Amino acid sequence: MRSRQIRTVAMTAAVAFVAVLTGCSSGSTGAAQSPAAAAGPVKLDFWGWAPGYDQSVALWNKAHPDIQVTFDKTPSGSKGGYTKMLTAAQAGNAPCLGMVGYETMPSFAAAGALMDVTSYMAPAQSQFAAWTWNQVTIGGKTFGAPVDTAPMALIYRKDLFAKYGITKPPVTWDEYAADAAKVHAADPSVALGDFGNDSYNYAGLAWQAAAPWFGTGGGSWQVSVNSAANRKVANFWQGLLDRKLLKTDPSYDPSLYADMASGKILSDVNAVWDTPIVASSVKGTSGKWAVAPMPVWDANNPVYGNDGGSATVVLKGCAHPKEAAEFATWMSTDPASVSNLIKVTGIYPAATSALANPALSQPDPFYGGQVVFDVFKAETPHIDTSWIWGPTMTQTATDLGDGLGTSAKGSTRLTDVLNTVQSKTVAQMKQQGMSVS
Amino acid sequence: MSVSRHARRRVGTAAAFLLPFALLFAVVYLAPIGYTVYESLFKLHRDGLGLSAPTKVFAGLGNYADALHDKDFRGSLLRVLVIGVVQVPVMLGVALLLALLLDAKTTLFKRFFRLAFFLPYALPGVVGALMWSYLVAPGLSPITAAAHGLGLHLDLTSDAMLAPTIGNMLTWAWTGYNMLIIYSALQAIPPELAEAARMDGCSAWRIAWHVKIPIVRPALVLTTVFSIIGTAQLYNEPAVLQHVAPNLSSSYTPIFAAYNAVDDNNFGYAATESVVLAVLAFVLSFGFLKLVQRRGEVL
Repeated sequence: MRSRQIRTVAMTAAVAFVAVLTGCSSGSTGAAQSPAAAAGPVKLDFWGWAPGYDQSVALWNKAHPDIQVTFDKTPSGSKGGYTKMLTAAQAGNAPCLGMVGYETMPSFAAAGALMDVTSYMAPAQSQFAAWTWNQVTIGGKTFGAPVDTAPMALIYRKDLFAKYGITKPPVTWDEYAADAAKVHAADPSVALGDFGNDSYNYAGLAWQAAAPWFGTGGGSWQVSVNSAANRKVANFWQGLLDRKLLKTDPSYDPSLYADMASGKILSDVNAVWDTPIVASSVKGTSGKWAVAPMPVWDANNPVYGNDGGSATVVLKGCAHPKEAAEFATWMSTDPASVSNLIKVTGIYPAATSALANPALSQPDPFYGGQVVFDVFKAETPHIDTSWIWGPTMTQTATDLGDGLGTSAKGSTRLTDVLNTVQSKTVAQMKQQGMSVS
Repeated sequence: MSVSRHARRRVGTAAAFLLPFALLFAVVYLAPIGYTVYESLFKLHRDGLGLSAPTKVFAGLGNYADALHDKDFRGSLLRVLVIGVVQVPVMLGVALLLALLLDAKTTLFKRFFRLAFFLPYALPGVVGALMWSYLVAPGLSPITAAAHGLGLHLDLTSDAMLAPTIGNMLTWAWTGYNMLIIYSALQAIPPELAEAARMDGCSAWRIAWHVKIPIVRPALVLTTVFSIIGTAQLYNEPAVLQHVAPNLSSSYTPIFAAYNAVDDNNFGYAATESVVLAVLAFVLSFGFLKLVQRRGEVL
């Protein structure tokens, strides 16, 4: 039995290994191999997945005949894009440019997949928000240009909030819990929100609560996924789950959008880049949605979370790092490129000059004509910028995602999940030869 | 002299025919295996925070020791073993039964049933897995809805139901294929044998038990070996099911675990897990062969 499956797996494995052995893989022809002195324009490959990037690249190519960038769409980072880049870097034929989330930057650095472009990038530093610069600078070396940050907010159904007697969106998490109970009491088949299984969304909640996961000191890592502050966040959500006040559809799953479209889920706490995703996923309810600041722990001292943000990095082996750095800076700062990324990709720009971009003050018809970026703009000064990511985030995120999934089913408790993630992360760091204190 | 020249030409011809195969065999089969084993002997060495490029150092069997201590990896091996021990006999039993029914003289609509039993195999595995994942997804599942109608609370994606659900997907997809192999073996039985048994007053069931099943034993052994190897490589079904069951752990099967190690840029460890899985599949399938051979039967 399963001979076909065996054959397919064997073939895939064989092809992959041959590709590694002979140093060739699909989509890798380009800058890495072409000699710098060759005549004609410099050619750069750029791997990423966000919608709208290709249009910014097209704008660049039109204005820069000497440096031509080819954008190759990969699966999104956590769905295989990062693995593809890392494998290519390992095989010595990575593209010059890659789209990498801040959360994965240390993992890429730990894999030796990034190219130090400090000297080319330094002049651009003043154009970016300081903390975003820190996300692309590891151990004093800068590896690329920040593109965006991702403040979180409450995306909610205005009309249904009113229907269930919620006159204004919850300002604090206590109010959120009370509203969730109110909705549940009115109709147990409807929920105020969803408890998904996206680790980075959960990280944003921890980020907001000043519950860091990683720190460094004395040349070694500190892991604090199950710290007291983290247990506070976990206990809050566990309480809502215990009372069955939330739906538990997987994050970004069709079932979630089906529930949102039919009014079974009234809101979602998510990042700025999720606003266009919701808009395109539940088109039929256009105009009924709105964006409010995410609930906070202390109304007198509001602090918000961040879920994402990414950089354009230069990958190891790039033959034209200077041109690559030039492109990366341009993509994040050029007004035309930025307004394209705001409109199509839904980014909140990392470049300070870009905050005046007119695209940030466009009313959004899906959100009832609201200028949604105003919400994010107001939150930005209240986001903790000291958060740092660990060097084995892929594994940490996978383990946490597993745990969130089982917690949603009710078979594990979130505090136990945090303990598991803590011990597995430490073990993984040690397995990879890092020192952990 | 002409003889030796003839012989030499024959060797030359044989070599010319064999060379492409030998080359491909070496490049796509031996080389990857060798490379995997080689990679599994290395670990990454880092200093402190490990935020710069690591160096690769020889680790001997260090990765293997880590793999054997890895609770998740051991769990994935055990899980697949349990799924196999339950699912393979069930599937082959059903396949044998269907094959015998098809082979029976009195069976109506033979061709229709033969095709119907085989049809699931004709579907790409992922399509079958997708179909089943919708059939068991909470909120979508007609099975859960029907059970609910009868007052039963059934969740086919609960932690306890994941393994049976995957076993069901495998059985559905592969029974027809195994049935066909067994059925072909049945077809090769000379009709006189059954004829003679019938004239001796043997019932259809006794003919099946005493004549047909012993003769198709080699086919049963073959399908069992295939099934053992296939189960060791379990990936498609749980990977698709994970979309509707986020509680399905991402180290559910050994192949999941190896993929995770690749995602973590831990190539040496991924290679180690692959080698352990391959050795285990080898030991189990050949162990099974040895076991049945010792009992006086040759494949």
